[in-house]
Amino acid sequence: MSLRVLNPNAEVLNKSAALHMNINAAKGLQDVLKTNLGPKGTIKMLVGGAGDIKLTKDGNTLLKEMQIQNPTAIMIARTAVAQDDISGDGTTSTVIFIGELMKQSERYIDEGMHPRVLVDGFEIAKRATLQFLEKFKTPVVMGDEPDKEILKMVARTTVRTKLYESLADQLTDIVANAVLCIRKPEEAIDLFMVEIMHMRHKFDVDTRLVEGLVLDHGSRHPDMKRRAENCYILTCNVSLEYDKRTNNVVSTSEINAGFFYSNAEQREAMVAAERRQVDERVKKIIELKNKVCSDNDNFVVINQKGIDPPSLDLLARAGIIALRRAKRRNMERLVLACGGEAVNSVDDLTPDCLGWAGLVYEHVLGEEKYTFVEQVKNPHSCTILIKGPNDHTIAQIKDAGAGAFEVAARQYLVNEVKKTVQGRAQLGVEAFADALLVVPKTLAENAGLDTQDVIIALKAEHDRGNVVGLNQHSGDPFDPQMEGIFDNYSVKRQIINSGPVIASQLLLVDEVIRAGRNMRKPT
Amino acid sequence: MREIVTIQVGGFANFIGSHFWNFQDELLGLASDPEGDSVFKNQCLNMDVLYRSGETHQGVLTYSPRLVSVDFQEAYKFYQLGPYLRSLGSISSRGTLYNEASSVPSDVVTWKGSVSTQASEPHKKNLFLQSLYEEEQENLTHKRNGFQREIEDKDIVECLDNGVQFWTDFSKVHYHPQSLYELSGLWMDVQEFDNYGIGRDAFSGSFQGEDICERLRFFVEECDHVQGFQFIVDDSGGFSAVAADFLENIADEYTNTPVLLYAARSPTSYMNLRSRKQTVFRHLHDSVSFSRLAPFCKLIVPVGLPSLSTSKASTFLRIEDEKAYHCSAVYAAAVHSASLPFRMEPVGPTADSFAVSGAVDVNGFVQMLAGQTRQNMVSILDVAMPAPPLTGIISMETQGEQSLLGSLQPLTPEVADKVEDFQAVESMIVHGALGSGGHHASVSAVKDSVNAVYEHATSRPMFCHLSVARCPLPIPLPFPSIFGNLVGQHGELLDSPISGSKLRGSLDVHSIPMAARLRSSNAILPFLQNRLGSLRKFGIERGALGAELLRSWRFEKDEIDDMGETLSKMVTALVPNDELSSDSD
Repeated sequence: MSLRVLNPNAEVLNKSAALHMNINAAKGLQDVLKTNLGPKGTIKMLVGGAGDIKLTKDGNTLLKEMQIQNPTAIMIARTAVAQDDISGDGTTSTVIFIGELMKQSERYIDEGMHPRVLVDGFEIAKRATLQFLEKFKTPVVMGDEPDKEILKMVARTTVRTKLYESLADQLTDIVANAVLCIRKPEEAIDLFMVEIMHMRHKFDVDTRLVEGLVLDHGSRHPDMKRRAENCYILTCNVSLEYDKRTNNVVSTSEINAGFFYSNAEQREAMVAAERRQVDERVKKIIELKNKVCSDNDNFVVINQKGIDPPSLDLLARAGIIALRRAKRRNMERLVLACGGEAVNSVDDLTPDCLGWAGLVYEHVLGEEKYTFVEQVKNPHSCTILIKGPNDHTIAQIKDAGAGAFEVAARQYLVNEVKKTVQGRAQLGVEAFADALLVVPKTLAENAGLDTQDVIIALKAEHDRGNVVGLNQHSGDPFDPQMEGIFDNYSVKRQIINSGPVIASQLLLVDEVIRAGRNMRKPT
Repeated sequence: MREIVTIQVGGFANFIGSHFWNFQDELLGLASDPEGDSVFKNQCLNMDVLYRSGETHQGVLTYSPRLVSVDFQEAYKFYQLGPYLRSLGSISSRGTLYNEASSVPSDVVTWKGSVSTQASEPHKKNLFLQSLYEEEQENLTHKRNGFQREIEDKDIVECLDNGVQFWTDFSKVHYHPQSLYELSGLWMDVQEFDNYGIGRDAFSGSFQGEDICERLRFFVEECDHVQGFQFIVDDSGGFSAVAADFLENIADEYTNTPVLLYAARSPTSYMNLRSRKQTVFRHLHDSVSFSRLAPFCKLIVPVGLPSLSTSKASTFLRIEDEKAYHCSAVYAAAVHSASLPFRMEPVGPTADSFAVSGAVDVNGFVQMLAGQTRQNMVSILDVAMPAPPLTGIISMETQGEQSLLGSLQPLTPEVADKVEDFQAVESMIVHGALGSGGHHASVSAVKDSVNAVYEHATSRPMFCHLSVARCPLPIPLPFPSIFGNLVGQHGELLDSPISGSKLRGSLDVHSIPMAARLRSSNAILPFLQNRLGSLRKFGIERGALGAELLRSWRFEKDEIDDMGETLSKMVTALVPNDELSSDSD
C-alpha cells in the first residue's frame, strides 16, 4: 500500500486478481497457438492491413507477428522465442505447455491450494522428467559415423508438422545431407556454415541442396564469363577501389583564402598516385592468376570489399571473374567449401591461398543475380537453395527448413518423450503430469479425434510397458520408433526446463502493479 | 558518379525521409515534364546519386531510392489487449513495384492440411493514396485520354492536413522491396519504445541486425563507388540504440565511407515531462544517445527544436508542433538543401555551369566541417525557408530578418545565440534564389551577393564554402499547408499579406527558394555541455539519481565513464582557451 502513497495513479491488482490475470494471459496465448501443433494442425494465413500475406505454421514466426500487450503474455512469448533461438523448434509446444501448467494450477488454486505447494511440486516433477529423458535418449552417433536414417527421422518429425508430406520429405533429405556435409569430426557443428538462400523462381519442389555456395550477387562487368569450369577461387578482403577519401582535400592553407578552392593540379596528382596503388593490387592478383592457370583453368576473385570499374576492367581483360562486396559470413563459408584461405592483403599471395571449384556460373532473374559455386572438393559448407513461386511460399519453407535443420544438427535423440508422459503421474505432482499430457491431447484434437478415447488408449498401452505414440490417422496407439518418429532431445529438454520456471514465477505473483505506463501516457 | 546510400531509422526519421523522397520525386517529375518550368529542366543535378535503376522479373524497368528504412512492424491483430499501432500504415512493406499480379493466393501450396486465415482489418487508403492508386491503374490500362480525375487536389491536401498518421500516408514514392525493414518481436507499442535501454536488444535480437545489414549490402554492392551514407535517425527513443548498433556495423564493414548523421527528433518528444523522475530519465537518454551515436559517424547534425512553431526558423511558416507531418517537412527541406552539393555535376574545379556551382562530395563536406584543427564533428543546421530575395540579401543596412544571414535560423536545439568564433567553418547552400523581378537569379549573381554579404558581415567565419543551384525547392502535392500568407506562389516574400486563407499549401505555393547552412562553431557548446552535465550529474557522480536507471539499461561503470570522456573531449575542443584556463582553477 505504500505504493499508493508514492503514486496514487498506479494500478494495483492483488492476490487472486493478479493470479487470474496471469493465468488468463497464458491460456489466451495457448488458444492462439493450439491449433498449430503437429502434422494435422492448421496452417495460418496472415493477411496484413495492406493486403500482404504471410503463411506460417511455425509458432515462432506467428508469435513475432502478433502484437502482444499483456505483460504476462509477453513473458511467455519471450520464453518461447528463446526456445526457438536455442534449439530451433518447439515454440508452440512451449506456449501450450506453459498454458496448460497454468490451467491445471488454476484448478488446484481454486480448491484452496497455495501456489507455493504447486510450485514445489513442479520442481520435483521437472527434475524427475529430465532424469527420465536422459535415460531415454538415443544418441545419433553410433560408432564413427552418424546414423543418417535417424537424423532424417528427426528432421522429418519437425518438417512434417510444417509442410505437406512430399515437400517435407524432400526437405528432410536436404537437411540431413546438409548436416552430414558440414560435420567435422570432434568439433561442434557450426550452424552458420549452412547458407539458406532463396530464389523466387519456379516451384517449391525445385528446392535443393547445393554442395558449395550460392551467392546473391554476380560479377559487375559485361565482359566477364557467366560460366566457368575448373576455377581457382581467391577469397579476399582487400579494397580494390580507389579511395579519394584518404586524401585530405581541404588543406589549411586553402581555408585561409576565405573560400574553398581546391588546387586542381595537386589534387590530380594525388588522385593518380592513389589510383596507381589500387592498380598495383589488381596486378598482383593477375600475376597470381597467370602463375597458376593453364589453358583450361579459370580464376575467380570473391572480395568482401569493393571493386571499382577500372579494377573490374583490368581483371576482365585478364580473364578473371570478380565479385565484390561478398557477405562477411560467406568468406568463411567459401574457405570451408572450396579450400584455401581468406587473404587480407595481396602482398603475400601464394597459390596455397586459392580454393577450387569445378563449376562457377551465374543465374539472372530480373535484376537479381545469383552465382553458384559448385563441384567443390571437400565441402564443409553448403547452401540450402529454396525456390518457390512467390515470397510467402519461400518464407514458409525457409521457416520450416531452418528449424528442421537446427533440430537435426543437435547430436542426440530420444524416442518420443511425450509418450512417456503417463509414467510421470506417480512421480510427482499431478498438475505437472496432466500438463504434459497436453501435447498428445492437442495433437489428437487437431487431428479431429476424440481426446478422451485417445488418452485412455494411450495410457492402457503404456501400462502394458510399451513405448506408445499416437497415430494421427487412425487415433490408435502405436510404437513411434517403428514409424520413424523421433523427437529431438535438446528441444524437449528445453521445453521441460523453461516451461515450469515461467509458470512458477507467474503463479507466485500476488500483486501486479502497473505504474510506468500510465505515467508515460499523455493525458 | 558517386553514389549515396540513405538510411532512415525510426518514426520521425522516416517522416523526414518521406518528405525528402517526395521532393526528389517531384524534381524527377518536373524535369521530364514537357510543359515544365525551364529551371527544373536543366537542373544539372545527378539523381543517380540517390536513386538506383533496376528491373523486375517481368522485365519492367524501375527507378527507386537507394534507401534502407527501419521502423516498427505492422502487427497482426490476433491477441491483444489494447489499441495497436502500425507504422507502415496502408502500404505494404514490400512496396508495390515488384508485386506479382495476384495478391491473395487461391490455395496454399505448401500445406495440405487445413488453413485458417487471420486477416487484419484492411487499412483504409486515404484520399491521396486512393488517387495515386487510381492514377496507376489508368496508366496500366492506357486510357489516359478522357481520364477525369475523380478526386480533387483540394480535397487531398485537406485530407492530408488533417489525417496524416503514418509517414506512408503521404508518400508518393515507389520503394524497392529491400528498402523497408520492419522490426518485429518487440511486443510493445511506439510510446513504450522510448529510451536507449529498451532499444538495445532490438538490433541484435533474432538476427534482425544481420538482416538489416544485408539490406544495406544489397544497395552498396550495386554501387561502383559509394561517396557516403546519409543517415537520419529518430534519436528520441529506442531507435537511437538500433541506429548506434547499425552504425557500429557500418563503421566496421565500410570503414572508409563517411557517414553524415542527422540525429532528429520531433517536438512531441520534448513533451510530457512532468515529474522530476521523467526529466532525469530524458536527460540521461539524451546524453547516452548522443555519446553512443557520435563515435560511429564522421559528422553529426542534431536536428529538432523543442518548439519549432515558435522558433525564428518558422517566421514565415505556420507549424503545429504536434503534427509530425508539419515539422518533418521543414527538416526534410533543410536536409534536401544540404544534399544538393553531393549531386551537382562537376564541370571542373574552376569552371561553373550555369545551373550549379560548388559541388563537393560527402567526404569533402565532412572534412571541411569536421576535419579542421578543432576536429569538431558536431554541426549546426540553419535554414532560411523561404530564402530572402537577392535584393534583400544585398541591402546591408537591414541586418534583420530580411537579410540572408539574419534569416538563417538554427534547427539544432540548445545552440548559443550570439557567439564570437574565429575558427568557425561553414558550408552554405543557396538554391532557387529569386533576383529582381521575381526571376530565378543566375548562379554568379547569387555568388556575388553572398560574397558581398560576408564582406560586410560583422562577424565572419574563418572559412565558408558556398554551393549554389538555380533550381528551387519544388513543393509536391502531398505537402502540409504550412506557409503563411506572406509567401507567394514562387516562394517570394510579399509586402502585404494575401487575403483569404491564412494557411497556404502546395496548391498555392509551387516552389520556394531555400538557403541552408551547416556550421561548425562553438555555438554548439551549450548542447554539448548540457549532455555532459546531465551525464555527470545523474549518471556518474556518487549517489547519482540515474545510476540505477543506467544499470537497468545494462551499462557498466566504465562504459558510462567512456561516454563522459567522449563528451568532455568534444567540449574541451571547443571551449575558447582563456575560458579553459579559468575553468581548470
